[in-house]
Amino acid sequence: MSSIKGQVQVLDPIGLHARPASQIVKLVKESGLDITIGRAGQEFAKASSALRLMALKISTGETLTVDVPTQDQLIADSIIDQIQQFLKGE
Amino acid sequence: MPAVKGTVLKGLGVGLVSAIGDVLVIKQATPLPDWTKSTKTQEQELAELRSAIDFVSSNLDELGEKAGGTSAEIFEALKMLLEDEELFEVASGNIQDGWSAAAAIGKAVDEFSELLGGDPTFEERVSDFQDLSKRVQAKIAGIEMSLSIPSTGRIVLVGEDFSPADTAQFTDAVVGVITYKGGPTSHTAIICRSKSIAAVVSCQDAIKLETGDRVLVDPVGDRVVVSEDESLATKSIDFVSINDEPLIPVRANIGSLEDALAASQTKANGVGLFRTELLYLSAKTEPTLEEQVASYTQILESAPMGPIVVRTIDAGSDKPVPFLNMPEEENPSLGVRGYRLIADHRGFIEGQLKAIESARIASRREVWVMAPMIATAEEAKEFSNLARSIGEYKVGIMVETPSIALIVEQLGGIVDFVSVGTNDLSQYLFAADRMNPSLGALLNHWQPALIKSLARIASGANSAGISSGVCGESASDPAFAIVLAGLGIESVSVSKSQVTAVHNALSSLSLTDAKEIANQVLKQTTAEKAKATALSEIAKR
Repeated sequence: MSSIKGQVQVLDPIGLHARPASQIVKLVKESGLDITIGRAGQEFAKASSALRLMALKISTGETLTVDVPTQDQLIADSIIDQIQQFLKGE
Repeated sequence: MPAVKGTVLKGLGVGLVSAIGDVLVIKQATPLPDWTKSTKTQEQELAELRSAIDFVSSNLDELGEKAGGTSAEIFEALKMLLEDEELFEVASGNIQDGWSAAAAIGKAVDEFSELLGGDPTFEERVSDFQDLSKRVQAKIAGIEMSLSIPSTGRIVLVGEDFSPADTAQFTDAVVGVITYKGGPTSHTAIICRSKSIAAVVSCQDAIKLETGDRVLVDPVGDRVVVSEDESLATKSIDFVSINDEPLIPVRANIGSLEDALAASQTKANGVGLFRTELLYLSAKTEPTLEEQVASYTQILESAPMGPIVVRTIDAGSDKPVPFLNMPEEENPSLGVRGYRLIADHRGFIEGQLKAIESARIASRREVWVMAPMIATAEEAKEFSNLARSIGEYKVGIMVETPSIALIVEQLGGIVDFVSVGTNDLSQYLFAADRMNPSLGALLNHWQPALIKSLARIASGANSAGISSGVCGESASDPAFAIVLAGLGIESVSVSKSQVTAVHNALSSLSLTDAKEIANQVLKQTTAEKAKATALSEIAKR
């Protein structure tokens, strides 16, 4: 099945920690899609698991790829956009 | 810093004995069993794990709700970790590898902790996460907390409240118990009363006490005194029997054959409350009619002489019977419990009534049956018709709901007797959860609204020509038993350790005196004044 990929940057000063991870999990679960997140070229983690996301140990400034298994560009863009918002660290 | 000598800490006294001892402050600790390979099927382990996680998770919800604000967010985040699907996935894998549920979750959490460790921003999470793991494992192991209490010396345990698992570990060295929370119907209070351990509950200031402080636990004075002077203890009333028989019959509460045998060694006039749950709570499958008849017959034969009031099953989703399907409920005490089980389990309740009837015939004892959790006269009629179609016992109901307490006079011609469960009646009257340790003061049986309700029930029963009794913890308080007799209650049923004390109290004065005392108590506006009035009025006679 094809998917749409997009990039996000972690701007949160403490990296991808519990709060953004849990926000992402909530969003992903609501979407019902098997979304994965990871560093390009490495194994991706299930975005429906905060533990897996936190275990990636992403630091501030890193760029991540979000893989959304859908062909609907609008849905994919909206999800990737929201994940980016979560990683801004306000 | 040790507490200052002479300091007085107010609380609610339980029982009549005072004691001096050394404080041992109990903090929660949870030593867990070692991880083992499974001895059950994988499905059983998975189900156990799931339900333990759900349990801890709902605890976190409660903690979050109580804490509010930023702390609520912390609990929310912890819950997210605990409910993480990958965590469950890894734990399931461990179960498939043959580990028990507790080991599986422990190992899964270790694995993730390792993945998350090393990074300082995660360190704090890791310890929270490990704590969650321990809570789940404790739930699976059925551990609340474990105490280590010396078996010699004179120890006064001090803690928030004690669970059944805790009190089971009390040694003979425990002479006193003080809890910050918990009320007079808490598990701690019930156990201390039955073991004659001096206790003061709902004693918030006891948090100031430290291990090693020597204190006087003075339940009659509703206080704890930092002192080793025994003469400071408030004198309990020394009831001198002037009559051979008490004003009203004093029966015993029992739940097992052991209880029945022990009660028969007391002055109890029969049994006012035979709790039948014990026969079923530990059974994996429904006992056959023959098995039930055998148990009931043995217990009826062993019970003290006099009538025996058998209560039909009083189970609910908080104390489920394994072989009856009882779905989880949001508010078990307001849910399908007691007689309400008839909707789904008519066959079981009918079977119980049949077994009691056969045991009645076999034991040749006078048996009364009653149903718990009756809310309307209609339900009372339904139960009465059912019971009378099965056996030739006297038929009655428990009065625990305010709704039935208000219409006892309408029960004439329907039932032969009512028995008031004051523990539950207080809980429903005051909208105060019996299990919530912070609400103890509302559950004090000296609360004016409870006493008013009891007066109403007694007069309603009297006008309907049915007999009324009280089988709650309140009747085990000798001074309160006198008030009950004065209000027109016609029998009391008490824990077996209190039979003598209540019997003596009720033999120490005339019914006219008891009525005057009750009238004075009815005029009081606070629980403290009601109790003080009763004690001073009793002392005058």
